[in-house]
Amino acid sequence: MTSATELPAPAPADPGTGTTGLGTSPLRTDALPKALGIYPYAADLWAEGLLWGAVLRSPHPHARILSVDTAPALAIPGVHAVVTAADLPAGPDGTPDGAPTGQVTADRPVLAAGVVRHHGEPVAAVAADHPDTARLAAAAILVEYEPLEPVTDPEAAFHAPPLHPDGNLLRHLPLRTGDPDAVGEVVVEGLYQVGRQDPAPIGAEAGLAVPRPDGGVELHLSSTDPHGDRDRTAACLGIDPDRVRLVGTGVPGATTDREDLSFQVTLALLALRTGRPVKMTLTRAESFQAHTTRHPALLRYRHHADADGRLVKVEAQVLLDGGAYADVSAEALASAVAFSVGPYTCPNVFVDAWAVRTNNPPAGRMRGEGALQACFAYESQLDQLAKQLGIDPVEIRRRNAMTTGDPLPTGQAVTCPAPVGALLDALDTTPLPALPLDDPEADWLLPGGPGGAGDPAAVRRGIGYAVGMVHMLGAEGEDEVATATVRVSGDHATVICAAVDSGQGFATLARQIVQSVLGVSEVYIAPVDSDQSAAGPSARSRHTWVSGGAVERAALMVRHQMLQPIAADFGMSVELLTINDGKITSYDGVLGMPVSEALEGRELWATAQCRPHPTEPLDPETGQGDAFVSIAFCAMRAVVDVDIELGAVRVVDVTVAQEVGRALNPRQIEDRIEGAVAQGVGLALLENLRTEGGVPVNASLTGYRLPTALDTPDVRIAALLEERDVVAPFGAKAVSAVPAVVAPAAVAAAVRAATGLPVGRLPILPEDAIAPA
Amino acid sequence: MEHGGNLVNRTIMLPASVDEAVEALAVTPGAVPVAGATDLMEAVNAGRLRPAALIGLGRITELRGWRYEDGGTAVLGAGLTHARMDRPDFAALIPALADAARTAGPPQVRNVGTLGGNIATAAPAGDTLPVLAALEATATLARAGGVREVPVSHLLTGLDPLRPGELLTWVRVPLLHAPQVFLKSTGRSGPARATASVALVLDPARRGVRCAVGAVAPVPLRPLEAENWVAGCIDWDARGAEGAVLIDPAALAAFGEYVAGACVPEGGAHGEGSGSAAARLRRTVAVLARRALGRALK
Repeated sequence: MTSATELPAPAPADPGTGTTGLGTSPLRTDALPKALGIYPYAADLWAEGLLWGAVLRSPHPHARILSVDTAPALAIPGVHAVVTAADLPAGPDGTPDGAPTGQVTADRPVLAAGVVRHHGEPVAAVAADHPDTARLAAAAILVEYEPLEPVTDPEAAFHAPPLHPDGNLLRHLPLRTGDPDAVGEVVVEGLYQVGRQDPAPIGAEAGLAVPRPDGGVELHLSSTDPHGDRDRTAACLGIDPDRVRLVGTGVPGATTDREDLSFQVTLALLALRTGRPVKMTLTRAESFQAHTTRHPALLRYRHHADADGRLVKVEAQVLLDGGAYADVSAEALASAVAFSVGPYTCPNVFVDAWAVRTNNPPAGRMRGEGALQACFAYESQLDQLAKQLGIDPVEIRRRNAMTTGDPLPTGQAVTCPAPVGALLDALDTTPLPALPLDDPEADWLLPGGPGGAGDPAAVRRGIGYAVGMVHMLGAEGEDEVATATVRVSGDHATVICAAVDSGQGFATLARQIVQSVLGVSEVYIAPVDSDQSAAGPSARSRHTWVSGGAVERAALMVRHQMLQPIAADFGMSVELLTINDGKITSYDGVLGMPVSEALEGRELWATAQCRPHPTEPLDPETGQGDAFVSIAFCAMRAVVDVDIELGAVRVVDVTVAQEVGRALNPRQIEDRIEGAVAQGVGLALLENLRTEGGVPVNASLTGYRLPTALDTPDVRIAALLEERDVVAPFGAKAVSAVPAVVAPAAVAAAVRAATGLPVGRLPILPEDAIAPA
Repeated sequence: MEHGGNLVNRTIMLPASVDEAVEALAVTPGAVPVAGATDLMEAVNAGRLRPAALIGLGRITELRGWRYEDGGTAVLGAGLTHARMDRPDFAALIPALADAARTAGPPQVRNVGTLGGNIATAAPAGDTLPVLAALEATATLARAGGVREVPVSHLLTGLDPLRPGELLTWVRVPLLHAPQVFLKSTGRSGPARATASVALVLDPARRGVRCAVGAVAPVPLRPLEAENWVAGCIDWDARGAEGAVLIDPAALAAFGEYVAGACVPEGGAHGEGSGSAAARLRRTVAVLARRALGRALK
């Protein structure tokens, strides 16, 4: 019996397979320490003489700040600094109270000045010698507010007085293609609503800022975009980006951007102001206020189809609630518009989409932003069409399914593999789960959970299907690039790449890539910091592609340097040599030399970049353009049991078929799919950060219902289709976002099948699933 | 103030017996007894409660079990945890209380949260409360120099509240040796707060049915007329006979409607809900009450 703190013997690196490299399933190296609770996160950091930071947040969703009096806070013993917007350097154009910042669109103040635009917006911050002192001092700051009427209805935002100098319309994107007068034999209409999903990461925001002797600052936090965050932080602090260093710590959950900018700029400012290290950890309640959520959406759709169910025309209006600040709303909107029809072909598409500013919590990046909301709407429409025409829901999808080469409504041809029909076919190769038995021992299988009120007589089973898509990498002309360095010395290799392993498994993948190319088994992945070359954010499913591609290129360059002299000696080309298990062998078996011998004590280095082909912005009048690098597709079958008297829903099983290009690490792919399905099921049935007058009412882990193990279905993988994407490194597609996009639509379809009700909003509340017997 | 060093320089006492605890309560005005702390510390952390002192009850082992009295009554310690009440030996005694304890929350909460704490917190959705109301349980309140006995429902409604210096020590529950059911509706499979719950116990000796509805009002509600009516619909003499039909299915459904009508007023349970929200809650209570009686008579 080992004690809890003692590490058990390390598991073999890749059980079962006996090989390393791409296509195998090695365990993550951080899996064991994370499971044992000994893996260090930012909240565990410590520095000699550190101070503790605390933030004062607005209690109003919309108010004018009449005055801020920091004197009562400064009078508290142990308080070292209090900062407000007035302490921030002027912006580049001379604007007082600091330069605005933000992802994609910079319109958010680091600390509110003059006006607060959402509940929980940071107004001031304190550094003190004890966390409780810091919090008490923050609460002692006197802020006089004049509450203003909050704009909380996104539809009212159009006509409301501007909440921000940039106005309330964050983006309007129309899409026009085909004949506006086309008419189908059947027409179905629907209004769809998606609630506010919070990323609710398992670890709340935390960080440590250490002032540097050169007047700069070092930030230790779980940023998922170290270079972007460095540049934005430096801009807000008015110092050179080279003087800000971001050191990545373990990321405790990230399905969105980690650590909002206000958090890290404030932290850095406190450290610079006091000249001492400052640590800040947010409470769970603050965490809900600090990070961005998924965009709540309202979607109105009209589908025209012929008698066979083939789409003739799709008309849609999409409204995204961006909350108080723009963040990535413009990107999310582009996704919602470009994928408004889904993975189907339709000649005539007319969409108008708006993202608007309100006084609700700001919305931002979150797995498949924009694409997810559209998927729920177009898949609900297809279900309606199938019902009206009496066609099987799978058949109607098959009839409209897009294939490689078909155009998106934006005019872009889908050149990557798009085997939508094959994905649908693959689902039914996996048998359906067994029906629950009328057995008291099996009552835990009923909706309502173990010990619940479930009654087998009132349970109806429903099976629903959904297909969806989401783009990978930055869109609309964004420069996508990552840089990586690979070094080989002795019998091991090192990868230096600033791509953050946010839990998606990039470190494991980088190790596999180098093992594959260089044949060395021991690969060290250097910790990420912003002094390394940039690799960009861990978002938009990009690291497998750009950073993985850069690591592969660098490794290939090292391989060439290593093999070139040997090949020359033997008078053969480099291509005839292979490296396996640390040994270089020639095609004819004459040569067999260990890698360490070939290196002759040298170190070989190479740095390479990967930059996928460029994209272009969508036309602001017609929504046309080649805006995306590549697209991922996924099909799902959800099986639910609904207690139609109580409206309790249990998702029994979700079966997934996904196009992955090439399965680089099958187990990791399955993990990612399981996680994404759990998050999708959460949005479908449970998760909704509700607001009343702009104030969140359930911002706690008691009130905000995350799926537990009992709410999460069995997830089965029917197929991982491996049709190489020729332009992608390794031919592989990203895997994490698209299952999260499709799962809510699949669950909604299944509830629809079980109850016969239309199901027009997410999450599906019990009252939406109570049906006549 | 949302956060703060609420426990800095504060007194925490750890009495080892009920006598020591009531003594500590008597000498420290404003002291708050704490058992599992699952509700209390949340309030402290959120700044809603700033107790002058805490009296930890964890060392009072006598309150963590139960004993029998007069052959027909179980005297339950206020320190019984939900996890303990869920164990088979306890479930055989008071099945509805075990059911309520089992669904009261995640294991971490059930391992420390106590019966006494559930009563003292008196949350509208407290899972054991409708069961105690249906069982017509009484509570023993100890203070320095004496004890008194109060019906739990009087404690909850504030008819006869806990007085300063009093500690909830024991809960008296009749042993009915008959089916009991606790059902709650949460809208999810994982542990969650009840949107409505129904506790129903049969009392064959008195040919009675007792029922309480939880979570729809600040305190559990007893639909007394519905109880009396349905007791008359049950064929008590057929109990135990193989294949006997104890009640007409139509009466089951009518009982559900009767209970819902009595416990959920028109126009919203909490006074602010829309008519349709009240209608949905009524429907839920009706379904729970019907199923509870159906299970009890199965």
